[in-house]
Amino acid sequence: MKSKNSSNKILALIKSQGFNKIELDSVLETKYILQRSGENFRKYLFSFYNSNGEELCLRPDLTISSVLRYAQGNRFNKEKVFYTGSAFRKSYNKKNILIKQIGMEIFSSKDENKDDREIIDTSIKVLKKTGFKKAKVEIGNFKLFELLIQKLSIPQRWKNRLIKFYWNKEYFSQLLKRLDSNSDIDPFIVAGDHKTYLKMKKEYPKKMIAGRTYEEIIERYERKINDPRLTKTGKTSSKIIKEFLKIKCSLKDAPKKLNAFYKKYNLNISVAKEFFPISTSNQKDLKFEFSTSSGRGREVEFYSSFIFSIDVKIKGKTKTFIAGGRYNDLSSKKLGLRKIPAVGAAVNLAVYE
Amino acid sequence: MNKDIINIGIVSKGRLKEESEKILKKNNLKIYTEDGERGLVAKVKGRKNIRVLFLHAREIIDQLSLGNIDLGISGFDLLKESEINIQKNIKVEKKLKFGFATLQLAVRKEFIDVFTTLDLDEVAEDYRRKNKKLIRIGTKYPNLTRDALYKRGVTNFTIVKSLGSTELMPAMDTAMLISDISSTGTTMKKNHLRPLSDGEILKSQACLLSSKKSKSKKGLQGLIKLFSK
Repeated sequence: MKSKNSSNKILALIKSQGFNKIELDSVLETKYILQRSGENFRKYLFSFYNSNGEELCLRPDLTISSVLRYAQGNRFNKEKVFYTGSAFRKSYNKKNILIKQIGMEIFSSKDENKDDREIIDTSIKVLKKTGFKKAKVEIGNFKLFELLIQKLSIPQRWKNRLIKFYWNKEYFSQLLKRLDSNSDIDPFIVAGDHKTYLKMKKEYPKKMIAGRTYEEIIERYERKINDPRLTKTGKTSSKIIKEFLKIKCSLKDAPKKLNAFYKKYNLNISVAKEFFPISTSNQKDLKFEFSTSSGRGREVEFYSSFIFSIDVKIKGKTKTFIAGGRYNDLSSKKLGLRKIPAVGAAVNLAVYE
Repeated sequence: MNKDIINIGIVSKGRLKEESEKILKKNNLKIYTEDGERGLVAKVKGRKNIRVLFLHAREIIDQLSLGNIDLGISGFDLLKESEINIQKNIKVEKKLKFGFATLQLAVRKEFIDVFTTLDLDEVAEDYRRKNKKLIRIGTKYPNLTRDALYKRGVTNFTIVKSLGSTELMPAMDTAMLISDISSTGTTMKKNHLRPLSDGEILKSQACLLSSKKSKSKKGLQGLIKLFSK
């Protein structure tokens, strides 16, 4: 009952902020989800085949459904929408099968900074409306990490890897270990591969093996040997990254702290205001924090810059009530559709259960 | 199945069969078949309450889960590959000292630019971009392979289920790479494949397994103790 009352209040408030209610399809064509994201989503898809042999699935995520709706409806103008419903995911924990949410999104932003601010401001209004007096608002920005990585003296392929696996905390730390020690390189195999390389160079470049041409294998191999990973720069870079990911402070102090960090390592980066799209940081009872690791470890790998979460305490336990951010690359990189700049947030209704 | 009889499943052919029979013999369980060499059901001399069934290694896992057999000797790899609902009905009683093998990812030796799963991830992404298709991985172990690759951040692939001769799949272009079980690595080498440096998915060996559905069956615990010595 409490959940229903609160969700009605939240819906009314979001509507009053100029967002339009939309209905999302519960069943999606699996191909949109699997074509680009590969097997990653399959692990939690409830999928089945219709009588024409097409694979369909229950929506695994509401943001994805809303992006598909926007893209497939040939929409190009700015749109502010909200919706409510459940996402369905396979899980061994019964509690996690139904994810009940209220979501709001702004598609095709013209002024991204302004829209980011609007999403977080509306989220804070939702928080107040539902009676939570105290909360912690944590802000992060993935772009800051990208900027840092691009400044490091490591091969480009390693930069790409670190950026790609930023969200996967466990695997990321394994990568840092490799970067630190070069422990994954076996000189014996490297020598053997070089012999094979010289042999392959003499062969017809378009010759195919297991779906790849000799030409592309050789090209990638040459790129690797011409841009080697050095133990010294690997170690230094790993140290800088580890230190960066520990930065956590009040939002007010964030620019100062970050700029001091960049200066310490001569990285030639300076942080400006647009990284912190907040106009409400003077609110009492809300603790505004900045973290360089915000969102890591959660399944949010589609966020591309600004990211936030609002945590509340319920019966002594800290729970994330609202979370969101900007995800400009979700449609193009994960769903194989055109690029749609977007920002959004989801209210987690499970906190009432 | 007769409730008073303890059914033991062992592999019906090959080295696993020989080694499993040795274990029975070592524990004074002398088996014989009334249907000759091809008989798939055996009795145990002097132990009327025990029956030995010769099954496929995967079938042993399924039958243990259903409670149709009470004890079995099969591979740890096959247990881990089975669905979670099957695994939760089976207990590993003892890891035995035979049937050692490693499930690992391997590529053609010509893939000199693919050394780790990180390289594989990048090649998979390039391949998807150029060909608008996902790379194919051939395996008899889709569940273990999928999980291992997710953990290493590789997601741009599809699994092609292999029914045998997995090592041949890259040469036939059925798959770009394989994930296969190997005990010495010789078959892989002979087929011009080399494992990825971080491509190990699971270390396996033969195991004595029991069905959780048979826990209270008369005489079963004694038999488990005997085998576990």
